[in-house]
Amino acid sequence: MKKAPVAISGAGCLCAAGLTLKESFSAMLRGERNPKPPVAFSSSHIEKFPVFEILAPLPIPGSDVELLRTSLLAFSAAGEALADAGLEPEQLGQLRVGVCIGTTVGSAMNNEDFYRDFRAGDEPEMTAIDRYLRSNPAAALARRYQLDGPCQTVVNACSSGTDAIGLGAAWVRSGLCDVAVVGGADELCRTTYNGFASLMIADPGPCRPFSSQRKGLNLGEGAGILILESAAMLGKRGRQARGYLLGYGSAVDAYHLTAPHPEGEGLQRALAECLVSSGITAEKIAFINSHGTGTPDNDRTESRVLGKLFPDTPFVATKCYTGHTLGAAGAIEAVLTLASLEQQVLPGNVGLGVPDTGLPVHPVAENSAIRGTVGLSESLAFGGNNSAIMLGLEVG
Amino acid sequence: MTGLQINGLGLVGGFGCGAEDLQVALEKREAPVSRVNLRDHLFPLFQADTAALGNYLNKRALRRIDHFSRLALLGAFQALEDVGPLELNRERLGVIIGSGFGALKTTFGFLDSIIADGDACASPTAFSNSVHNAAAAHISMQLKLTGPSLTVSQFDQSLVSGLLSARQWLAEGRVEAVLLGVVDEYCQVLGYCWERYFGEQISSKMRPLDFDHFSAVPGEGAAFFLLQAEADCAAKYGIIDSVVMGQLWGSRPTLIPGQPLVLGCEGHPLNGGIYRQQLPENASVACYTPLYGAAPVTQGFDLAVAALTLKRGEMFPSADSGGDYYSGSVVTEARKVNRLTCLRYGFGGEYAVIQLKGNG
Amino acid sequence: MDIKTKLKQVLIEELNLEDITIEEIGDDEALFGEGLGLDSLDAVELVVVVQKHFGVEIKDMEEGRPALQSINSLAAFIEEKQK
Repeated sequence: MKKAPVAISGAGCLCAAGLTLKESFSAMLRGERNPKPPVAFSSSHIEKFPVFEILAPLPIPGSDVELLRTSLLAFSAAGEALADAGLEPEQLGQLRVGVCIGTTVGSAMNNEDFYRDFRAGDEPEMTAIDRYLRSNPAAALARRYQLDGPCQTVVNACSSGTDAIGLGAAWVRSGLCDVAVVGGADELCRTTYNGFASLMIADPGPCRPFSSQRKGLNLGEGAGILILESAAMLGKRGRQARGYLLGYGSAVDAYHLTAPHPEGEGLQRALAECLVSSGITAEKIAFINSHGTGTPDNDRTESRVLGKLFPDTPFVATKCYTGHTLGAAGAIEAVLTLASLEQQVLPGNVGLGVPDTGLPVHPVAENSAIRGTVGLSESLAFGGNNSAIMLGLEVG
Repeated sequence: MTGLQINGLGLVGGFGCGAEDLQVALEKREAPVSRVNLRDHLFPLFQADTAALGNYLNKRALRRIDHFSRLALLGAFQALEDVGPLELNRERLGVIIGSGFGALKTTFGFLDSIIADGDACASPTAFSNSVHNAAAAHISMQLKLTGPSLTVSQFDQSLVSGLLSARQWLAEGRVEAVLLGVVDEYCQVLGYCWERYFGEQISSKMRPLDFDHFSAVPGEGAAFFLLQAEADCAAKYGIIDSVVMGQLWGSRPTLIPGQPLVLGCEGHPLNGGIYRQQLPENASVACYTPLYGAAPVTQGFDLAVAALTLKRGEMFPSADSGGDYYSGSVVTEARKVNRLTCLRYGFGGEYAVIQLKGNG
Repeated sequence: MDIKTKLKQVLIEELNLEDITIEEIGDDEALFGEGLGLDSLDAVELVVVVQKHFGVEIKDMEEGRPALQSINSLAAFIEEKQK
């Protein structure tokens, strides 16, 4: 059933490509990227898997003794998004504001130094645990802005950011809150770095989504935040919507813990729900921001599904500019989708090289003009989760 | 709002496995505390045993499934079994899991593989199982559930946060039913944290209504619910009327005068003061945490007790009778009830309120 | 213990194959799909197992795929690398 669109009144993101949405999107259109071996930590792998790390000081720096970097990333993107929406932090306590944020590292009690000491029989100080307990991203945002509404940290692995946006939109639509701060945040972490290396899906070079030479993903870090708002609140504040969240769908494969279903069975059902709930037909979609991690399995599944459902729709894998930011990925990509709609241009898929001829469809290699007001962003995740959201510049 | 019918229960915790075991503990007003390893000594724990999962899955199916996911699977299997012959479309059945801490043992097990044998020997199986949504993934694979799946991690508000989304999904017609469960597990690091935070005071007898003194014992386990939108047919257990999560810096829980409260206090003076300040003076309260212990998600067990209460239409006597340390009114004997409220405060001013009613 | 028996033993231990014994694994039996029934996650775990127990590195799946066919192929791969 078609659902009512929910207004997007502000957007913000930061990633290795830039510290704001504007900076990030401009860098992408210039085709810039510079993945490098991690600076924040070292590893003993023979291959120095490159990552997309934010090396500049964060816009909202804060103390990393106090909070995990993931929370600070969320604060930075939220600060940009709230300012974009014209919402003063002091106002927020007076409104019914929900917060729904996806993450992976931001909710894991896995501090390696602490655990090394514990395992060695020492008595590590509780600094790392205190920090973890303070850093649940949704709770940290609620505390920072004194929000008093629904609060949810979504831990659906790599689809968390997309899911958080779709779930938060439902809160606004049903009147559970007037404003929702939604999105995702994740920091680079030695644990996930080693994890993806162990799964042998980290590319030893810059990632090449949908390329015949692709060998896997590069990790990245960052955050993306959208401010969703009820029409009534927007009217009361005398503001215009920047865009709309038109629909959301999600479904699981129930197939394998880490591998996607080869035919994207769950992804197809997630997309079907997304189309129906937004009341948009496939041919109206101007472009798709794919999950496009650069792993052989993911890109194959995705290309098959896109080739079947949207054979003529241009698409891009923006992870070639941001790396895979895990719980933040879907949120950063949603924000970039909005930027593409506004500027009517899709960044070229840098590093595509020779497209994999075994795949039915490929992303755009060069910056491409697009025409239309509706874009789709999709995510696939460990656990067989698939989710998709539809964004538009107009109401349906 | 749309009421949520509770039509299936799946439970595993310190009290045992299944609703009957919980009911026995409720009637006896006690549950056994185990002693588990914590480095060189023993540590009290309401420990959950997943041996019964062997009734549902063979060894091959279980080989890559850790304790955390086993707890969840055991809850999930029971809850679906409890619904009975009801035909559920598995594409239209949503799964929502809440956990405060996630798969702790495997999270540290993955680090073990790195620390013991170096980065090149990091275990991919451990990594894949350490993600918070691993339990949801195993549930969807083993029970062939292919609808929407959501895992949330919101510490003490994990249950209500998940319930809010369950209600949304049912109200929007995204799904016909939601299998919602909460799960948390013990591990030695958690025990260490308890000792560092709470020191020598660790006890084995919980007195949660004594808001000033520490008496918490950690617990682990899973509580699962099969939820459906309120309908003409009666709910198997009861109906969740409203779910509210909030923050004391912005609001106070709205409580209905005269309605008994199932309190989520766990013998932590850290938030005991909040209960003492916030509880209405004449409130009639019961607390059952001495039957399953303290963990971010034990409000799931409170909700299960509420469900069992509404099914029989009678309160269970509080597991903590209040002694001389609690001056308010405590439910100490069985009495008729058709409405009640689960109330829990976290450590930072967050609160969770679930109001329930019986059929008709 | 010969390398094939040791391989079978660590396979059972590290992949938690509690439902089978060393004797039940054929030297030429397919490890994946039909046969032993292992999957892609086991494949990458096996890469770690081989590194950990035999000190032999499998760089990527291009190298790994032919080696991970059966106990025989894996034993041959390890022996070749250990030379």
